[in-house]
Amino acid sequence: MECYLGIDLGSVSTNFALIDRYGKVIKKIYLRTAGRPIETIKNGLKMLREDLDSDIEIKGVGTTGSGRKLASVIVGADVVKNEITAHAVASLSQIPEVQTILEIGGQDSKIIILRDGVVVDFAMNTVCAAGTGSFLDRQAQRLGIPIELFGEIALKSKNPTRIAGRCAVFAESDMIHKQQLGYKVEDILKGLCQALVRNYLANVAKGKEIKPPVVFQGGVAANSGIKKAFEEELGMEVLVPEHYDVMGALGAAILAKKAISQNRQKKTNFYGFEAAFKEHRAETFECGGCPNLCEVVQIYQGDKLMARWGDRCGRWSQDVAV
Amino acid sequence: MRIGIPRALFYYLYYPFWKTFFEALGHQVILSNPTNKKILKDGLELAVDDACLPVKVFHGHVVDLKDKVDALYIPRIISIEPKEFICPKFLGLPDMIKSSIPDLPPIIDSDLSIYKNKRGFYEHAKSIGTKLGHTEKLTARAFRTALKKLNSYKKSQIIEERLPLDSGQKSFFEDYQSKNQNYGESALKVLLLGHPYNIYDNYISMNIIGKLQRYGVKVITPEIIPTQNLSAGSRYLNKKLFWTLGKNLIGSAYYYMDGGQPIDGIIHLASFGCGPDSIVGELLERKIARSRPVPFIRINIDEHSGEEGFNTRLEAFLDLIEGGSRR
Repeated sequence: MECYLGIDLGSVSTNFALIDRYGKVIKKIYLRTAGRPIETIKNGLKMLREDLDSDIEIKGVGTTGSGRKLASVIVGADVVKNEITAHAVASLSQIPEVQTILEIGGQDSKIIILRDGVVVDFAMNTVCAAGTGSFLDRQAQRLGIPIELFGEIALKSKNPTRIAGRCAVFAESDMIHKQQLGYKVEDILKGLCQALVRNYLANVAKGKEIKPPVVFQGGVAANSGIKKAFEEELGMEVLVPEHYDVMGALGAAILAKKAISQNRQKKTNFYGFEAAFKEHRAETFECGGCPNLCEVVQIYQGDKLMARWGDRCGRWSQDVAV
Repeated sequence: MRIGIPRALFYYLYYPFWKTFFEALGHQVILSNPTNKKILKDGLELAVDDACLPVKVFHGHVVDLKDKVDALYIPRIISIEPKEFICPKFLGLPDMIKSSIPDLPPIIDSDLSIYKNKRGFYEHAKSIGTKLGHTEKLTARAFRTALKKLNSYKKSQIIEERLPLDSGQKSFFEDYQSKNQNYGESALKVLLLGHPYNIYDNYISMNIIGKLQRYGVKVITPEIIPTQNLSAGSRYLNKKLFWTLGKNLIGSAYYYMDGGQPIDGIIHLASFGCGPDSIVGELLERKIARSRPVPFIRINIDEHSGEEGFNTRLEAFLDLIEGGSRR
């Protein structure tokens, strides 16, 4: 069977989506990157291989996410695409009429505005990561609640308390204070959901016209408390697609399929699942060629230099064809 | 005498004049190195915290130059167009430098204001001439030569659509090779709005122009738009914008949007801590959001900017405008 693989290497999670030639998701994997991107990709490849029938043939591979370049070097990608486009493509494949995409991932959040099936505007959070997945993770941990139950508990709240959501640091101290005053955990969690939604709408979505259908995706979409808070604040239904957690990977897979189908002669760059068993390592050095002192990263497979990046002038990266 | 000119701020607008003028007076002009990590670091360390990114970068260039020259040229620029101002930080620039950076050579900080009339430009030159001990006759001659050079440079910049980009150590003024490749009819055209010292400084702008050009995009900036079109564009505003640079940005955007000029996208590159930009950006956003005839993105740059996030936004924006043209 012909398949296309999408990999979304993010700061917090690394996701895989495998689609068939009709774009249907056959298999998806959601892994924690846990600060070891190379290992995580290889683990994902191994898991994929174990689960799949032997007649699967990978015809194309797409990578996205903040680590898209690294992922591409390790697996051999046909398409390397930014996560905004990938998310939009995936969303359109699931809900073709979508006009607004709210995406909250591990460390970034985005809003994508579409009209008539075309992206017309987007925004990403800048320096502030308040209200993204890793912050929620940390707060759940601090309260001793499994992150999976976060939303469910928040939904029980009848009197949500108001949390200052401007900044993750202040939100945390505000939560601690509210705990000390004796507020219930569910009220604090619900208050946190509302604060994050307010913060998102005031910063990331500032000045954007949010029209239905609104799709909510990314890892945080698993949190029913945040979904509900969005619905209350926006006054409209918020849809969470089936594959909300791997939308970036799904988008990358769809883009790979598109790229390959546009050029049937082209063979995929995919190194095969064997890539998972090869040894990869990253090394860095500081280039002393000029006062910029760029940190150059080199990726090796065994002894073979696969890629270099990090230099501003191209002195090092030019020598290596990725 | 060796006169040092920091490769920052108004260098990108007036270097042709400055270089010709000082050389006509018999001096040697020395430029600082193109912005690099060390220059930025020095600037961040020495400048006052409240300064904007380009002013901090300027500090770094002064450090880079100060031990290589006999005098530094840091004019006190007040106004470069009649009845208009530029940002007040330029007005205090020589004082900021003097108070923040130790062991400086003498500074030529003559006022430049043509708020009242264009003669202010000559007054500026005369004051420099006097400070350097030249006769008024020689100064006047040098002024005329330099002004001619500046005007012919600006003219050719617009006609040949040549962006003032340095290539390596070479200044945009010396490097006469036309950098604007031949773009086909189908090439995407992007209007890049931003202060000259942000968009043409390859380090600060993270080479935004080069990146766009590598994607085959034709980059248009206020500097290559004829002046009359800029002022025609800025007339659409209800009230005159009295900041020259801001007016140029708004004028360019309005000219392309209301003047029916075809353009595929507008990018506003603003630097963190820029007061005028915060208002200009808001005006642009409102104007564009009202009808959204053109895709628009604002990218903020600051000293902490990660290049990865910058590239992601830029790539996504290009995907967006390409998608739009296919429709």
